[in-house]
Amino acid sequence: MRISDLIIMGLRNLSRRKARTALTVVGMVIGTISIVVMVSIGIGMNETFTKSVMENGSMTIISIYKDSYVENENGNYQSIEQKMNDALVEQIKDIEHVDAVTPIYNKYVQLTSGKYQSGMELIAMDCAAMPKFGFPELKEGEYPTAENNQIILIGAEAMRDFYYFSGRTVKQKTIELGKDKVSFTFQEYQVNEKKKPVTVTLNNYALFAETQDYRYNYCSYIDLEYFKSLYTKYAATLKAEDRKKALASLENYEEIRINVDNMKNVMDVQKTIEAMGYKCESDMQYLNSMLETSNMLQMVLGAIGLVAMLVSAINIANTMVMSIYERTKEIGIMKVLGCYIRDIKKLFLFESGMIGLIGGTLGIGCSYLASYYINKYGGNLLSSIMPGGGYYTEEGAKFSQIPIWLPLAATLFAIVVGVLAGYIPARRATKISAIEAMKTDG
Amino acid sequence: MGENIETIIEVKNVKKIYHMGHERICALNDVNFTILKGEFCCLLGTSGSGKSTLLNLMAGIEKASGGQIIIKGKNISKMSENNLAKFRQRYLGFVFQSYNLMNSMTALENVEFPLVFKKVPAKRRKKLARDMLIKVGLASRLKHKPKEMSGGQQQRVGIARAFVANPQIVFADEPTGNLDTKTTMEVMDLIKDMAKANHQTIVMVTHDPRLASYADKIIHILDGNIQSVEVLHDITKPEEQTAAPLESEQKEKKEVTEGKEKETVSIEKEKMKEEERI
Repeated sequence: MRISDLIIMGLRNLSRRKARTALTVVGMVIGTISIVVMVSIGIGMNETFTKSVMENGSMTIISIYKDSYVENENGNYQSIEQKMNDALVEQIKDIEHVDAVTPIYNKYVQLTSGKYQSGMELIAMDCAAMPKFGFPELKEGEYPTAENNQIILIGAEAMRDFYYFSGRTVKQKTIELGKDKVSFTFQEYQVNEKKKPVTVTLNNYALFAETQDYRYNYCSYIDLEYFKSLYTKYAATLKAEDRKKALASLENYEEIRINVDNMKNVMDVQKTIEAMGYKCESDMQYLNSMLETSNMLQMVLGAIGLVAMLVSAINIANTMVMSIYERTKEIGIMKVLGCYIRDIKKLFLFESGMIGLIGGTLGIGCSYLASYYINKYGGNLLSSIMPGGGYYTEEGAKFSQIPIWLPLAATLFAIVVGVLAGYIPARRATKISAIEAMKTDG
Repeated sequence: MGENIETIIEVKNVKKIYHMGHERICALNDVNFTILKGEFCCLLGTSGSGKSTLLNLMAGIEKASGGQIIIKGKNISKMSENNLAKFRQRYLGFVFQSYNLMNSMTALENVEFPLVFKKVPAKRRKKLARDMLIKVGLASRLKHKPKEMSGGQQQRVGIARAFVANPQIVFADEPTGNLDTKTTMEVMDLIKDMAKANHQTIVMVTHDPRLASYADKIIHILDGNIQSVEVLHDITKPEEQTAAPLESEQKEKKEVTEGKEKETVSIEKEKMKEEERI
């Protein structure tokens, strides 16, 4: 038989029993919708909070803080102080998959511009490691280098909200670097009145572009060595007692920040560090547990979809078996008239595959509609079953996302299911004896 | 003319045994005969005599339990399903008692059907089918479905379908079994005329001795055995001689296998007569 004849005949056979074909197709539509919608919800959930966690930090960074806590025997959290020095930094550098390590000091400084004042967090880290920590793009200036380490990186929002307190009125101002003169001073200890305080003018600076990551917008970053020299100078201006404390604080780092080469390895590196006896934290550890829950949820949803698909596969098989009973005589006639057995098989497989294709295609259309309404009205319900209880979801988040491969895969899957479901009936059709077949009525 | 005549179907020691539970039913027992090209051969027998089984075996619809059936020099009992299908497409046509038309298709589509399997292009297929239906006198019924036609008309569609691919052999299983006398005659004439026009071989199964008179050769079957072979027209001989009056006077019984006593006697008598004549 020619392919065109086979197709025409198959379509005619399907249209001969319109009601039955339609019902079987509806079954397939439901199967496809459930698979596509379930998978799309799974994908949507993952995307939603991967994205929201991403916005709050970089996924490959691990931090060890000086002030941390451990869970004691009673199950309570107890704060501890972790001592960190250069030896530890070197040790961490040797861990596999560690891309960059830097010790960090974190000081609060006062900003002054004329009569206006503000505050800012000054973070000191190794200038060589800076480009590796996923800093935002620089809008202006360059990163400090070992030779030229006096450049200070300033967050996009750090120069906002300068205040001038005069009597009862408060004036607010946003400083424009380059136009307005800005300087900072350390605030930790009272300066000895006899000495001249250390004031650093922000001449040599670079500006971050605006970003949604809180870590960069209101902070400034400075090279570790430059910071040490500044802070030592500052310490010299202090009273003897405070000077000791200040210099002692340089002995121990406040944080060690580690960048791992790949998201996948973050948990491994974290385990290694914990084995060394240090508590550490990363965004990945939170995301990981949430991703696990979400994967679980995705599998459950997918299983529900598969069950629906299985039911529709049985439905197709049933339809094809019925069809064979009805057409026993026709099959017999076809055999006697010289139809190849493989053509009979092909005819039945085509019909069942066609049910799959039509059902799949309609199902995809309906899925897009369903997905639209889920995103529009189903947000509250879905965010409540999502890991994190909706904490990580924002307004207008897409809970059901249909990537381009999904409809294609689903249609293909529907056709495959149709053909497989039709295979046993089709084989049965070829085994019908021609004379027996022709003796039957119909 | 005589030199061109060749054997088209050769049945050699064919046996067919059915297994019904533990019972073995012997439908055909060591059957031998030949059919010549262009011959109208009739398998005549009562119901249950094994004549339909024999037809099915010759058509390759059933497999023989033993022996050989050679059609056009090929042993069809050894052919694969695929080759059989191809063989049917090329050489065989079928007419059935119950017509066996596709009820969902129009007369035209039914006649086209065998050509679909032969991969004939749609245009040519339609033309052949239409011409065939016009030949069998159904020019006004092309678009009708089988259920909208009388038995005679349906059988004409059946005949058109059998002949449309211009097969060398047409098997007809009680083609007039469901028809009244007048229609029977029309249908029989149609089959015979069509076959003669294209020098096609017809193998017809019937229980009706009157229909057998249309044949060139009658093979009598009883209980799975060939009773006798009766040649009405010897197609190997020139026209004038074979066109002589029919029936009893002209009967020549050529071969006898395991006949019953009475008949054997009568046959022997006839043989004597024959010898005398010569």
